[in-house]
Amino acid sequence: METLVIQTLNGLVFSMLLFVMAAGLSLIFGQMDVINLAHGSFYLLGGYIGFTMIRQYENYWLALIIAPVIVGTIGFIIEYAILRRIYGRHHHLNQVLFTFGLALVAADLIRWNWGSYVITVAAPPQLQGQVPFLGIQFPVYRLAVITFGLTIGAILWIGIERTRIGMILRAGVSDAKLLSGFGVNIQLVFSGVFAMGTALAALAGVIGAPIHSLYPGLDFEILILTLAVVVVGGLGTLKGAFLGSLLIGMADTFGKTFLPEFALFLIFAVMASVLILRPSGLWGLRGQR
Amino acid sequence: MGTERTKIITHIATARSWLAANSRWVLILTLILALIFPFSVKTYILSLGIEVLIFAIFAMSLDLLLGYTGLPSLGHAAFFGLGAYILAYVSSNSELALGLTDNLLITLPIVILGTALSAVILGFLALRTSGVFFLMITLAFAQMLFSIAIRWSSVTGGSDGMTGVPRPTLGIGTWHLSFTDRADFYYLVLAFFCITWFLLRYIVRSPFGLALRGIHANEQRMRGLGYNTFRYKFTAFIVSGVIAGIAGMLLSQYFWHAVPHNLFWNMSGQALIMVVVGGPGTLTGPVIGATLMRLLPNFASTYTELSETLMGLVLILFVLLAPGGIFGIFHKKR
Amino acid sequence: MTKEKPAGFNRRELLQATATVAAGYTAVPLLAACSSSDARPAKIGVLLPYSGIYAVLGESITEGIRMYLDEIGNQSGGRRIEIITEDSQMMPDVAQQKARKLVEQDEVDFVAGIVSTGVLYGLRDYFDSAKKLLICANAGGNKISRELRTPYIWRTSFSNWQPNWPLGDWAYKNVAQKVFMSAPDYGAGHNMVDAFANSFQALGGQILGMQFTPFPTMGDPAPFITEIQGLDPPMVFCFYSGASAVSFVQSYGEFGLTDNIPLVCAGFTVEEDVLPAQGTAALGALSSLHWSLLIDNPINKRFTAAYKNRTGKDANVFAVQGYDTGRVIAELLIAVQGDTSDVNRMIDYLAGISFDSPRGPFNLDSQSQNPSQHIYVRRVDEVDGALHNVVIEDLGAFTDPGDNSLG
Repeated sequence: METLVIQTLNGLVFSMLLFVMAAGLSLIFGQMDVINLAHGSFYLLGGYIGFTMIRQYENYWLALIIAPVIVGTIGFIIEYAILRRIYGRHHHLNQVLFTFGLALVAADLIRWNWGSYVITVAAPPQLQGQVPFLGIQFPVYRLAVITFGLTIGAILWIGIERTRIGMILRAGVSDAKLLSGFGVNIQLVFSGVFAMGTALAALAGVIGAPIHSLYPGLDFEILILTLAVVVVGGLGTLKGAFLGSLLIGMADTFGKTFLPEFALFLIFAVMASVLILRPSGLWGLRGQR
Repeated sequence: MGTERTKIITHIATARSWLAANSRWVLILTLILALIFPFSVKTYILSLGIEVLIFAIFAMSLDLLLGYTGLPSLGHAAFFGLGAYILAYVSSNSELALGLTDNLLITLPIVILGTALSAVILGFLALRTSGVFFLMITLAFAQMLFSIAIRWSSVTGGSDGMTGVPRPTLGIGTWHLSFTDRADFYYLVLAFFCITWFLLRYIVRSPFGLALRGIHANEQRMRGLGYNTFRYKFTAFIVSGVIAGIAGMLLSQYFWHAVPHNLFWNMSGQALIMVVVGGPGTLTGPVIGATLMRLLPNFASTYTELSETLMGLVLILFVLLAPGGIFGIFHKKR
Repeated sequence: MTKEKPAGFNRRELLQATATVAAGYTAVPLLAACSSSDARPAKIGVLLPYSGIYAVLGESITEGIRMYLDEIGNQSGGRRIEIITEDSQMMPDVAQQKARKLVEQDEVDFVAGIVSTGVLYGLRDYFDSAKKLLICANAGGNKISRELRTPYIWRTSFSNWQPNWPLGDWAYKNVAQKVFMSAPDYGAGHNMVDAFANSFQALGGQILGMQFTPFPTMGDPAPFITEIQGLDPPMVFCFYSGASAVSFVQSYGEFGLTDNIPLVCAGFTVEEDVLPAQGTAALGALSSLHWSLLIDNPINKRFTAAYKNRTGKDANVFAVQGYDTGRVIAELLIAVQGDTSDVNRMIDYLAGISFDSPRGPFNLDSQSQNPSQHIYVRRVDEVDGALHNVVIEDLGAFTDPGDNSLG
């Protein structure tokens, strides 16, 4: 029984990490209809930049701010310089392929710069060690990840539901053209959203580094899980990203507990079943094509 | 600058009209070159030729879905790998396999039947979605098969795969052909390639193929015109799956093994890149794409460790500058 | 046999040194006098992953091979030695095409390398039909020494059985009589678990449970660690490598198990390539392998110092395997006097090759076509401010049984 509670906690930790990733991916899709297959690369890039910052200044919290800013800027430039040339209905596949090409290039460049040894990142000193919980020792940092996830979720929710920018974003999800009719610079909104989405991926990279380490190949590993989340939860909504993360995070953890060899199979089976039964995800936007 | 550009455009236009006027001769010349290929090159180049042809069959099969019907699959390796595993299970001499026969007259129908059956099941389920969701569901199915291939080791050999797959034979009674030799196997693959090419050409020019293009352009309108679009897409999915399975069968015979990697998403991704770079919605396009994408990294990785970057850059350049692929540069858009 | 060797130079080394010096002086006239076939360099095609997650292994093995060849002046048996490297990309189909390129286009005399067992098995039928020599410098799948054995594939590394079977015996006698086992769900994982379990159970040891984790990607190991924590076994045996070795051991420490449940593992789990990343979470881990950075013999001392000097990094077991691969090929060239035309003759000589390696006495066993070598029990300790595997016991020489009788 205690083990089940602990496993739920493990599932929650993993879910929250996935949520930060999925929120970014979903945000981008909601606005621009782009499935960003380079999202995992931005995660990894964020993690590595964070690692370099921590080594340089020995300050985790600084890395937590700087890495997303740098990666977000890169995202902004990519959107502004290239991605906006291939918007529109007929380019849908081209966008996916462009981000896929970007992911291939990024993987090589990251390995070229940081090498292929596995790199671990220590948790900040304040969050090291364990706390006793139900007779076992549970790592403090993992509890902190849950807090991180919930905090970021709350900030995003307030930002989208309660601010003027959020109102523009919500309007953009339903009809971007209409929005530009009201004098909103929709191009700037797109660039900003893409930067925001990539920054969230980088943030997840820094948060996840002390748990998952950093190594070549992690980009696609995390991308596939994030895709599963947004597909199950439904693209374009924060709620979908949140609930989808919980579902996939728990499926992964309990799959590993009860059917360890089938854990990967299970994730894809959940993903396929949801797509068959509800092609636009459980909590996604209606009227997807 | 301006004159340079006009010059290039004129050159391309000339090449285009020349190709259009002489397409029959180009075809015959290519066929002759393909037939004398084994006599004129070193054994290693011949082996690259076999590999390229097998992947060309695979890429063409995907193009029927992607380029003609507008169904982007990121899980086409499912059928490629299935074809490889079914053939291996029937004919490998490994203790896991049945080791029945290497006679194509028996193995080919089994592979066709097996891949068709799985295409029926997967197609029925996957075609409930479209667009990026089709991309995701096909990815999920292929990854499920990949997991099964690794897990079910008493049948598949697990992560080690299945070794000892023989090169095929063809024979009834006393009449008997063996394709053990590399050059002989090349001709077999070439034969499969030609059959696939002409079959697909027939299909895409038939009323059925025109309907597929109609679905690609505007599915709603086709439905409005009274077409049962699901049935068209379903049939295309099965045909495409079976051809991919045959390519997979040839691959396992060529490499003497079937491995989980044949089912992996990165194999599907490769096929997708081949089609896009070569020219979706054409038959020659995927062939060019397969040639480029199999040979380029092969040569590049001898000189640089950044071969993935090269692949990625090629993909990005084509998406941005030539969405019609290489073939599209030389052929006017429909 | 090998133990009888005198402490200083052995005969072969002396010959070699003499040959190197002599070659230096006589190279020009010798080359001019030689027949054309002898003047042609002996080529080694090195087929390894240089991209992706196993690039570190590929680089280490290549450095090892190059280092040995540099030491002998890049020539042996009267022939200059040349290396051609190719990236296998860890894909069986790519690897086989690259092997064809090396053998048919570059006309190499040997192919060496191969990190993963999947790739090795995928290459087996090609080398068997091409009748070319493949010297495997890492991939440890048992089958290549057993049911998939072919005269054309020899190994200078290890079989997965080799380090683990003796460890099962040792762990029963020295750590605990009950064990919980954890390994990735693929060929190597099962090989290693089976070997450990075989000798452990033969003594009456009890297996409390096993977990086979998803392959190729494990993801978050926390659920597995929690399961272990819940069972609280007196000992855990595991095998992981690369990134999953780091995640597993790191989580083991993160959940506070390092100080409470002894971790016994296949040596790769805490080898020098991953140990710096694992940090203190790996402290005290007991493992077995055919080498350790700290083996106290003169050849290893010289090797590890030279490797550090050359690359700026500590050596690892993969570099040693590369180094010995270079040596096996050089010794073979001496034995056949540079004549690589007859593959069967080369195979005959391969079976007899033995020398003192950084790992101790090294003998190529003719039956398993795999080295007979010493297995060491090591413990992760802090040495001069860094973590390393300290040798705590030499279990003696072990040879793969060549069949599945012992797991």
